[in-house]
This record gives sequence, structure tokens and C-alpha cells, in this order.
Amino acid sequence: MDNQKPQELRDEELVALCQQGQGQYFDFLVRKYMEKAFRIAFDFTRDKEEAKDLSQEAFLRAFSRIKQFDGRSSFYTWFYRLVVNLCLDYARRKGRVRWQSLDTIVEENPERAELADSRSAPEGQAMAGEAKRRAQSTLKSMPDRQRTAFLLRNHQGLPIADIAKVMKTTEATVRVYLHRAVAALRQSLLEFV
Amino acid sequence: MERKQTLETACRDFEEDLVLYYYGDGSERERSRVEVHMRTCARCQRFLDDLRRLLPQMAQPESLPQSFWDGYYRETVAKITAQRQRSPWWRNLSTPMRAWALPVFATASVAVLAVGLLIGRGGWNPQAVRPRANIPQEILTDASQLEFFNSMDMIESLPALEALDGGKAEPFAGRNG
Ligand SMILES: [Zn+2]
Repeated sequence: MDNQKPQELRDEELVALCQQGQGQYFDFLVRKYMEKAFRIAFDFTRDKEEAKDLSQEAFLRAFSRIKQFDGRSSFYTWFYRLVVNLCLDYARRKGRVRWQSLDTIVEENPERAELADSRSAPEGQAMAGEAKRRAQSTLKSMPDRQRTAFLLRNHQGLPIADIAKVMKTTEATVRVYLHRAVAALRQSLLEFV
Repeated sequence: MERKQTLETACRDFEEDLVLYYYGDGSERERSRVEVHMRTCARCQRFLDDLRRLLPQMAQPESLPQSFWDGYYRETVAKITAQRQRSPWWRNLSTPMRAWALPVFATASVAVLAVGLLIGRGGWNPQAVRPRANIPQEILTDASQLEFFNSMDMIESLPALEALDGGKAEPFAGRNG
């Protein structure tokens, strides 16, 4: 590792440096995972500011617990778990209110919903606004674990084995969650396809 | 639309495997079982087509400007730095360093002096003094200090996921948007 630039170090090496007191190396982990963390949080919150706060909080927690990280899992599954837990806490506190009012937010405050709308594909592939709202609404009405499995697979592209680690469950259970989530979404969108 | 009433699903025995198939998961055996079945089953083919049409659209990531990510990074790092300065663990970590810090400091001083002399002569090459990612051996070997600070650390409860494992009521269950 002598001639390596810090940004080339593996996660475990960066974590080890932090654990040995060189906290500044955590910045490289922030750089590497900030987009993923923000996007997970945004998938849960559908709000840019909330997503920023939650994902930054996840980094702060990871940093304050870095010495407890024992390397039994990879840093990224450990970190995803922190992000997801914060998102689920958030959902419990606010999810229902936020989600029930999503349509109103879109109508009354287009700027606020800008991020959600701009997620559509550019050339005519865009999911129509109503379909998108229906999909988001279905997503939010799912049991938390089902939604979590779906977001991690569909939006984050995590392999099922890693989702099982993040959620501390079995791969078979993740498959069931994923299947139920997809079936529910497909059903809710059938009239739009 | 007529289609609305039909709500056609895949064959019961294949639906879960089709979802996995769509994501490229599942074992080789499961995948070929799905492929063989789809050759003769239009329902399952349509199910897979629907997934291919719908699911990627849901995951379209928005491209945020680089300035957003730059700001995000700066803000996050500033928060972490502030936490590091507040936290007893990071602060205290410097305390046991004093024993080894003296010789290290002395060595560093000599190095700084030497670099100063080099600069004075116009012969300093910044590449040559690139900081190393290595840890001073003195810290590495002092595992007991780390243990001590570990034991001082507060143990945060939480895992929301674990709470859910315990079968708590789902906050969103039963709602239909
Ligand atoms: Zn079939």
C-alpha cells in the first residue's frame, strides 16, 4: 500500500486506517458511497433535503461506530444497513404523512417534486405522471421489508446475497419479498401499460 | 381498458422465478427451467415483458449537477470533522501517542529542517515527500489502547430491521395509495 493513492485503497484498508486513529481517511469512503447513500435515502423519502440529511447522518453514524466494525461483513453491506435503518426509522416517523400528501405536493409545489419527475426516461419512455404516482404509492403501501428488498434490488442493483446481509435475513426470504413487491407493482400498473 | 379487468399473472409456479430471472438472479437450473417454460407459455412471456417495461423506469436515477455532489461532499466531511473534534475517542486517541510522539516528532523536525534546507537551495521535489498511507508502527501495535476506547464507547441500540424481525406491525400495511 506504500505507493498507493488513498483513493485507490480498498474499503477495508480505509476502515483500518480510521480504526487506528486516522479519521481523515473516512473522507474517501464518503466520496465513494455518497451517491449510493443519497439515492437510497431519496428512494425512501422522495425528498432531496430529507435524503441529504438522512444519508449524511448515516455517514456520521458509520464514522462514530467505525471502531466497532469487525470486518465480518463488507464495509458496504454494513454501511447500507445503517442507511436502510435510518430510512426505516424515518418512514416510521413521517412516511405515512409524507406519502399521503405526495400527490398534493406534486400539484401544489412542482419544484419540490421536480426530482421525482425528472427520474423518467428521456425519449418517450417516461412513465406517465399518474402511473408514476401510482407506483410510488404502491411502493409506500408495502410492508417495510418488502419495500426495502425491492429498492435495494431494483434501484440499487444489490445482489440478493448482499440484500440478505443488509437485512439480516436469508436469501430465500429476500426472494419472497422481491417477488411480492414486484407482483404488487405490476398489478397496480397494469392499467397503464 | 379491457386489460384492467384481466389482471393476468404468470403461472403460479413460475412467478417468483420470473422475477429472479428478470434480475438475472437464481441458479442456472432455475433459469433454464424458466426459459423452457416460456417457450410455450404466453402468459409468462407477457409477465416478463411487463417487468422489462416497468421496472427499469421506476429506477431511473436523476442526474444531479456536479455542484450538488461537491456541496454534499464538503458538507458531509465538515460534519464528520466537527464530530471528530467533539468525540472523546478521536481526541483521546492522540493522548497515548505522546509516549511515541516524542521521537517521531524529533525525527519529523529533522526532516522538516532538511526539507527547509532543500527548498532554500531550490531543490525540493514535492513528489518525493508525498504522504504515505501507512500507520506509524507505534499505533498499530498498541491494540490495548484501541480496546480501551472501544469499551468506553456508547453502545447504540436501534436496528430497525431487527425490530422488524421481531414481527412488529408494519406501519404501511393495509394501506392502499
Ligand atoms: Zn406460464
